[in-house]
Amino acid sequence: MSFRRYLPHYLMIAPFMILFAAFFLYPILSGLFYSFHDWNGVKAPEFVGLGNYDRILVSREFLRAMGNLFFYIAITVPLGIFVALGLALLVDSFTGRWANFFRNAFFMPVVLPAFLAATIWRWIYAPNFGLLNMILGWFGVPSVNFLNDTGSMIYALVAVDIWVSAGFNMVIILAGLKNIPTELYEAARLDGASKMQQITHITIPMLGPVLFFVFTYGLISAMQVFDKPWLLTGSSFTSYGGRRNALLFPVMDMMGRAFGGVKFGEAAAYGFLLTVAIVFVTALMFALRAWSERK
Amino acid sequence: MRTNTTLRAAIAGATLLAAGGAGAAFAQDVTLEYWVYSDFAQGDALAMQQEFIKEFTDAHPGVKVNITGKGDDDLTAGQVAGAASGNLPDVFMNAQHIGAQLVEVGALANIYDKFMALPEDVRNQFDKDALATCMPKPDELYCLPYTGFGSLLFRNLTVLEKAGIDTTTPPTTWDEWFAQMQKVKEAGMFAIPDETLVFNSIGEIYATSGNSQTWGFNWDNHTTRIDEATMTKVLQKFVDMAPLNTGTSRNDQATKDLFISNQLAFHTIGPWVNPTYEEAAKSSGLKYDFVLIPGDTAGKTGGVRSYEIVGVAPGPNEEVAFEFASFITEKTQMARWAKLLSRYNANAAAMADPEVSALPLIRVSVEAAHGAMDLAAPYFVDTMPSCYNSTVIDYASATTDGEYTPAEGAKEMIAELNGCLAQ
Repeated sequence: MSFRRYLPHYLMIAPFMILFAAFFLYPILSGLFYSFHDWNGVKAPEFVGLGNYDRILVSREFLRAMGNLFFYIAITVPLGIFVALGLALLVDSFTGRWANFFRNAFFMPVVLPAFLAATIWRWIYAPNFGLLNMILGWFGVPSVNFLNDTGSMIYALVAVDIWVSAGFNMVIILAGLKNIPTELYEAARLDGASKMQQITHITIPMLGPVLFFVFTYGLISAMQVFDKPWLLTGSSFTSYGGRRNALLFPVMDMMGRAFGGVKFGEAAAYGFLLTVAIVFVTALMFALRAWSERK
Repeated sequence: MRTNTTLRAAIAGATLLAAGGAGAAFAQDVTLEYWVYSDFAQGDALAMQQEFIKEFTDAHPGVKVNITGKGDDDLTAGQVAGAASGNLPDVFMNAQHIGAQLVEVGALANIYDKFMALPEDVRNQFDKDALATCMPKPDELYCLPYTGFGSLLFRNLTVLEKAGIDTTTPPTTWDEWFAQMQKVKEAGMFAIPDETLVFNSIGEIYATSGNSQTWGFNWDNHTTRIDEATMTKVLQKFVDMAPLNTGTSRNDQATKDLFISNQLAFHTIGPWVNPTYEEAAKSSGLKYDFVLIPGDTAGKTGGVRSYEIVGVAPGPNEEVAFEFASFITEKTQMARWAKLLSRYNANAAAMADPEVSALPLIRVSVEAAHGAMDLAAPYFVDTMPSCYNSTVIDYASATTDGEYTPAEGAKEMIAELNGCLAQ
């Protein structure tokens, strides 16, 4: 009786559920299955228990990739939000065509194909001739090898990442800014609050849920970073990660194991480890958010 | 003599097309998917490929060939995924060192019997060493070697002259070459790119001291063939070159820019960079030449060699796909290809064609390929793990950075490589 009653509802959610099951659930579950097998994509999978996980967890590349990832996340996520918030406040202070101009200009890198963005940045970062080194040269700074000097490579990546992601985050924060009641600012002004006080005591607290979304989304994206370091270091399936693996990240290592080493079982285990880590971090973020709201 | 050679080639070509004609009977209405490197599917190279396709399809009514250009990684990913999904292209290119991966996933058919059925004249056209690299066992042949390279030493003559170096005779030994590098640096210019950044350039310098027998893999016991004493010597060379280099890899655009703008003296790389330098010579007066990479002793050359391969996928179109593969790798086509692009290839008969061998880049390339070290031999035996190249690069860079002495670096590198191969 209740099934018949809710049949139209089931039918309405069926297209999503079918697609979700086919393109999300099935790949995850089959990935989990293959992660316990030695499998090259063609031959019959051979059960190896936790062998794939063991090999990954003790490998030098995994440890390096995770180290790079933690460092990268620690810089790029907070800095990215800070820049996006700054841009959003800047754009919000304009009206009319200037607001449109800046919004579009800052959003432009988001729609740029990754390979094009990487090409532009490889040219900007090039030693001796690159735009950045030319500018540094005007101030007497010697040429910096941004993409091969292991001390600067990760910062070079962070700059590209922020350049690409800031526009997207800015648009979301801008939408949040529009929802803050103007009366709050008027009252603050009457009370003599400075612009900075208005930002810290009204804007940021009122943007809480938006900033939480931007932070969580940024964290998940950062954990899956792949295309930008791959392209900046000119990586291929047989050689990736740049000089001394300074820009090696988990997804790159996973791709190399899959298509370079033809070890799809190992790559599946890698992918599953990453999925678990992302789910755990996301759940933790939501739990922390719920806890702070309850307080 | 030349008429005789031409006549033999014409007969061989006609035989191939005739064999193809026979094949056409069972190849009616077949569409072959043909994947090539993206630079083979652009401009003059594409026009030439389309000409080959037209000649082949004219001789094989009912056969259609679709050519698709793809980047290096897209080729590999597409072929590996295609093998898994049963949706492989029929004929495809890839690099020789990817061959074992493709064999492992079943993307490459064993074409030995078909190859042996070709007329002897056609079989003998191939460079014997190049063909042997496609044969992990006497009765297994997984590719037809196609275009290839032996690394060359591109020299910026303006830079060398500014540094007071006589450019009429290229350096014949490592010591002579290194002395020139130092002179270039003293004159305030860059001598060479950072050769530790790319696996191939590490191989190029290793080959100045080592050879194919001390490089590559021992698949019987899954160990590296790299010799510790040789690697120690080579790592010392990287340390010595460190103050002289550009900090950019041989593949970086910045390296080419430095060379073109007369700030870099030497560039070790394959012949594919020549069109860029040729264009710069025309447009900005770049003065350069290309010579063999000198080894430790006179007569020994450095550099690595490798080939692009043409493979055939197993399946219902295998017969006609092989006919197409053997047609495009046959002397007549390869000679036209070489003349158009000045690129070395594995058809020795085409390379010996007087019109082809007269081309300076081909002449030096043939010599370079014969003296160079195999990039990752033996091929088609087992899959190189993804940790191998990065380990070599890591230890070369770390030693140059002073983290290890050359002797320590070589020892640690070999131990790590053996661990990687044992996985």
